[in-house]
Amino acid sequence: MSGVLTMGSLDPAFSAATRVDGEPIVLDLRSVEFVEPAGLCGLAALLEYLIPRCEEVNLALAGRDVPAYLERMNFFRLFGGRVRTNADVASLEERRRHNPGTLQELINFHTEPEIPGIIERISEILENQGYRLKERVAICSVLSEVCANAAEHGASSFGAYAAVQAYHHIVSGPRRRGEEVLVAIADGGVGVRETLSRNTEYAEHTTTDNDALRLALEMGVSGTGEIGRGGGLALVAQIAARAGGSLSLRSGTGRVTVYENRKNSRNVPQFPGTFVRVSLPRIPSQEKSSK
Amino acid sequence: MPEKRAQRVFEVAGGGFGGKLMVTRSTGRAVREALEEALVELPKGGVLYVDTRGVELMDYSFADEALGILASRGASGEYGDRHVVLVEEDRDLLENVEASLRQRSLAMIRVDELGGEPAIVGEVPDHLVATLQAIYDAGSITNAALAAKLGLNHTACNNRATRLAKLGLIHRHIETAAPGGRQYSYERIV
Repeated sequence: MSGVLTMGSLDPAFSAATRVDGEPIVLDLRSVEFVEPAGLCGLAALLEYLIPRCEEVNLALAGRDVPAYLERMNFFRLFGGRVRTNADVASLEERRRHNPGTLQELINFHTEPEIPGIIERISEILENQGYRLKERVAICSVLSEVCANAAEHGASSFGAYAAVQAYHHIVSGPRRRGEEVLVAIADGGVGVRETLSRNTEYAEHTTTDNDALRLALEMGVSGTGEIGRGGGLALVAQIAARAGGSLSLRSGTGRVTVYENRKNSRNVPQFPGTFVRVSLPRIPSQEKSSK
Repeated sequence: MPEKRAQRVFEVAGGGFGGKLMVTRSTGRAVREALEEALVELPKGGVLYVDTRGVELMDYSFADEALGILASRGASGEYGDRHVVLVEEDRDLLENVEASLRQRSLAMIRVDELGGEPAIVGEVPDHLVATLQAIYDAGSITNAALAAKLGLNHTACNNRATRLAKLGLIHRHIETAAPGGRQYSYERIV
């Protein structure tokens, strides 16, 4: 496990999770020093997969910062009764919570009507952070579309998890000046390939998970084939890319990341559902021009 | 001059659906149902102004469910001879409306404010743009006069205007002409 808990750093754990057969397990996160929303949602999805398959799940954490951040993000409120941990959660819960107005705690949702409340909360955070209306609209549009996809296509026993954090520097890749909002959403549903395979028109284009993910990012592609459907994700990718950020879509054994001028695909360990990570940076103009 | 039409203004942000934040298909569906109710209460030829200026955020799913499907049903004749006009300024919010209408190969008339100059949001096929512009320039025009203006034969001109009427962008009606004859005339809707 590397120092940053993100979507990719949980790959070895997802790979090992498929071999679990009832025995107690320890998820060793002691090397983690920094948790981003994708890591938090990934961890939530991983635990939802493991808990029903294991006698007991132990979470090994080191130091105080990571447990404190997990507590602040409501992780222990959602999982405290279902996993064991070496962290002193009781003392963390007694602390007075600082609300920096930059985050949406890990939230579990199941249905579409829950989404407007989540969006309203994020919009307030962004407004407090000085984001202009135009930027708030772009970010909230991203979030609502991705949440709606999770609620609609998820058919997941645990619904979906979402988390958002606004940072006062760029955290994707090497740290640099600027600001960045990271959005992560994970569901435990049937995944993109199975959803799109329901539409016989796409039979030839859903042979692999990566084929299906690339297809899902095209305008107008949906499992139902209804006109007007399948626009949300394509627009989300456009918004993120236009901001100089990215959208990563992961499902099954595929992962596709869309940047401004390229699209990368790679094979990854099986993810039980669909995972979306969106990076929306605000890079100072002098930094942009010096690139 | 175009005839005076019945009209009603529907303020989307004031309808108790989601205030300034309009997201998700379920919210869009609730708004569309309210718009449909308002639309069918209008007399034939009436215009429903859908005012979204109080909305801060409209995601693609909402835009498609509320306005894309409304335009689609209008184009299939579900609301009879009743029209929808979007009241919205030229701002980012339009992007998702535009995307939905283009996805459906549809368009809507948009005005910045009531009584403002009409513009198009969505997709009007290139070969129909000049026809639409000529009708709006004239306010009201017969098929014969429009055909002469565009240098088209009467049938081609009527086909183009009929398509625009089906899209809900113009009003089309039949006038009785000389004994036994009849002719089509077209009007702008705003």
